[in-house]
Amino acid sequence: MKNKRFNLLLIAVVTLVALWSLWPTWRDYSFSTQLNSFSSAQDSLKYAMDHREEIDDARKKSLKLGLDLKGGMHLVMEVDQVDLFEQKAWNKDGKFTTIMQNVRAKATQSDARILDLLSAEFRNENIPLSRYFYDIRNSNQEIVGKLDKESEEALTRAKEIIRNRIDQYGVAEPVITTQGSRKIIIELPGVSDENRVRNLLKGTAKLEFRLLREPEEMLRTLDRINTYLLQNTQNSAAVTAAPPVTDSTAAASASLPVSGISSVAPASLPPGTTAPPAVGKQPSSKPLYDVISVSQYGTAYTAAHSREYVLSLLHRSDIQALLPQDSEMLLAAKPDEGNGGEKLYSIYLVRKAPELTGGVITEAKATFGSQSVQPEVMMAMNSEGTSKWARITGANIGKRIAIVLDGSVYSAPVVQSKIPNGSSVINGIGSLEEAKDLEIVLKAGALPAPVRIIEERTVGPSLGADYIRAGMLSLVWSFGAVSVFMLVYYKKAGIAADIALVLNILIVLSVLAGFNASLSLPGIAGIVLTIGMAVDANVLIYERIREELAEGKSVITAVTQGYDRAFSSILDSHVTTLSAAFLLYTYGIGPIQGFAVTLMIGTSASLFTAIVVTREIFNLLLAKNLMSDKSFG
Amino acid sequence: MRIFQKTNFNFIRYRKIAYGFSIILLVVGMVSLAVKGLNYGIDFRGGSEVVIRFEKNVDVGQIRSVLDAAGVSGTLKQYGMDRSFLFSTVFQGDTGQLKSLVSNALNDRIQGNVHEIVRIDAVGPSIASDLKWSAVKALLASLLAILLYVGIRFEIKFATAGVIAIFHDILTVLGLFSLLGGLFAFMPLEMDQSIIAAFLTIAGYSITDTVVVYDRIRERIRGQKPSEYERIFNESMNQTLSRTVITSGTVLLSVFVLFIFAGPAIRGFAFAVFMGILIGTYSSIFVAAPLVYDWLRITKSSVHLRGSKVS
Repeated sequence: MKNKRFNLLLIAVVTLVALWSLWPTWRDYSFSTQLNSFSSAQDSLKYAMDHREEIDDARKKSLKLGLDLKGGMHLVMEVDQVDLFEQKAWNKDGKFTTIMQNVRAKATQSDARILDLLSAEFRNENIPLSRYFYDIRNSNQEIVGKLDKESEEALTRAKEIIRNRIDQYGVAEPVITTQGSRKIIIELPGVSDENRVRNLLKGTAKLEFRLLREPEEMLRTLDRINTYLLQNTQNSAAVTAAPPVTDSTAAASASLPVSGISSVAPASLPPGTTAPPAVGKQPSSKPLYDVISVSQYGTAYTAAHSREYVLSLLHRSDIQALLPQDSEMLLAAKPDEGNGGEKLYSIYLVRKAPELTGGVITEAKATFGSQSVQPEVMMAMNSEGTSKWARITGANIGKRIAIVLDGSVYSAPVVQSKIPNGSSVINGIGSLEEAKDLEIVLKAGALPAPVRIIEERTVGPSLGADYIRAGMLSLVWSFGAVSVFMLVYYKKAGIAADIALVLNILIVLSVLAGFNASLSLPGIAGIVLTIGMAVDANVLIYERIREELAEGKSVITAVTQGYDRAFSSILDSHVTTLSAAFLLYTYGIGPIQGFAVTLMIGTSASLFTAIVVTREIFNLLLAKNLMSDKSFG
Repeated sequence: MRIFQKTNFNFIRYRKIAYGFSIILLVVGMVSLAVKGLNYGIDFRGGSEVVIRFEKNVDVGQIRSVLDAAGVSGTLKQYGMDRSFLFSTVFQGDTGQLKSLVSNALNDRIQGNVHEIVRIDAVGPSIASDLKWSAVKALLASLLAILLYVGIRFEIKFATAGVIAIFHDILTVLGLFSLLGGLFAFMPLEMDQSIIAAFLTIAGYSITDTVVVYDRIRERIRGQKPSEYERIFNESMNQTLSRTVITSGTVLLSVFVLFIFAGPAIRGFAFAVFMGILIGTYSSIFVAAPLVYDWLRITKSSVHLRGSKVS
């Protein structure tokens, strides 16, 4: 008797908790119907203001809809660990560069950990990791451990920075999580301007101020590269790789144009320059100057269509070896217009070591410039940066300093005076929106290593509405079909199974709401499937009871033995389904997990609802003498 | 109401016919897999997909020529919803660019019929191979877990036969996917993550019916001589026949509803689960239990089942 009371109490508590947990969802739903029912926007706003707290509270605690139902973006980004490890290495030489290139090539083909690939590559070459990483006295194992920690920290930091960027951009309820050693998963419900978000997320936002080398030095370097290329082509007697004559659209993604520091005039292309000559298929006597032109003022530039080619040239290690020590050749992020209206990208030879990096930036603000209507971003530095900046500008009056963001030069103004207050300005930005995005990424700080989008799923809100309709229809029809079947097939006992089924669905939804998990279309599919599976336990019990009744046992004995004897097959079948769902959850990703979760909750809940709840119903009915051997159909 | 009154089928005697049928199913499936292969979705091959919905009816050929003219290469298919099309192409990191390319081309060339890009998916090749591996791992792990669990609850012969039956079910569905893949516009039957979910669901559920039969055999076989095994197996299967059919029936009902109502994103999954459960019900009666019987017969061993104490 005591046990029975406990079960009844348990059922009551579970039902109440389920209803309580779903109450905010109901409130949220009724608030939004209420808000939509007002004829004028004013009334609706007034109602919303009056009930603001309740509405917010209900919304916060209500059952969330997944991205696929609400519309939004699901992104998976990968932190470039090869780049990260390259940053950590010191006294890098040619050998190191080739090893890292091998690692990079292998990383694109396998999903092994980058760190494992790296140490395997070093082992093959028989070089201790300590030659390039950390202390020479460290063992390989210690270094792998340190690098592992480093990459873990980088992942966490990247996640935080991306969260900052998204928070400042303003997305309601973003979910940002990390997965494995190098992936960040970003869920952004209800994003309307996907393009902007994508650009906001993928930039590393590594800001650097770098001194330009003297123009003569650059011209000499270009000559050197030209001679080298010429020798190369003659040696191989092969046709030089013609630059791709495609319109470089990649430039568009990086075109947050910046130019000029405070009052310093930006160095624009001098008049009288022409586009580089068209490239023929024949080996040329001056392979470099086919794609790069030099103006009379000693500045060099390349046309938009050969930008990709020049970039790939500059990435080659044999070409990099021809540059002066501690130098790097960079391209402009944004094209200038030549005389004929063609797009020309300037080329800069800058010092490899930045004078100052974006870490000193404390404040960034997108505004409109004083003289022009062009938007600009004003930056302020911390005290350390301010004093450095004053020293750098003071020592380099008359020289040019390039403002480099993510490896592209935004501008390279001539320093005209010492700047004592730590201010700097990025101007000449195309639109205020671009300036705002630049402000966000500068404020959020630089990512520890570049990130790439490797998976993206975007669902528009209209498709989401379709999915909700489809999901609701499936739920209703499945519940209707199964419950009617149970009623027809098992008569009175079917009622108990149907009550248990309702409670089961309530429990699934309330657990989702209670744990702040969201309901997706695969999740709904999981519930629909649960409806079909949850009654299985009842079927097994009822069939057993029918058997016992057929053997001539009394209803009470038949019920008791039916439950007892069916239990072992019910348990076995539930455990197998649960373990399959659990493994699906463990190895599955994103949408599939939603399915696995609802299936798991539903299956476990049905152990309770189909066994305990129906049993209690029968006990009550038996006690009141309302059951006969006809009750099981 | 009762579907089966007292039945008395001699399942064991006709098991060889069932074996033959299963082998034909599997061979046909395997041949199709070898010759025709599977249709991989972007989850597993990497790529970008755009779903475009138009306001009014429009011809596939017209859109195809418009996209061709705009220089967007890829394949265009009818999508399983009204006035919707699925355009798939190689993976592009910048889906914004793809979207504007498609959108601009359609806006320019197809006027007076507003379109909306309702979904974009892009899966990079590296993540696609990740997904493939997780799928294989999840499947193998679940089979192992089931083997262990059933092995502990019953006996290793029973567990092995059960897992063979699961293999049988999944491979048959896989064969069906290969055989029917791409034949129906409303159901392309591409292998993607949801199909892996279907396989795991099938694995977890296929054993349910098998366990019900096993459970009855366990209950009845205690202390019996091996010469009685044929009778006991047959009787057990007959006694559990109705519950085996009804438990599967309710799930089939639900999955059928999913197939009809839940839209194109779920259709392949629903098809896989439906076929899997249908075949799983067949295999628990005609494959799993007969295999155990044959195994016991050939090895001439008697059964020592665990947990056969029934009050």
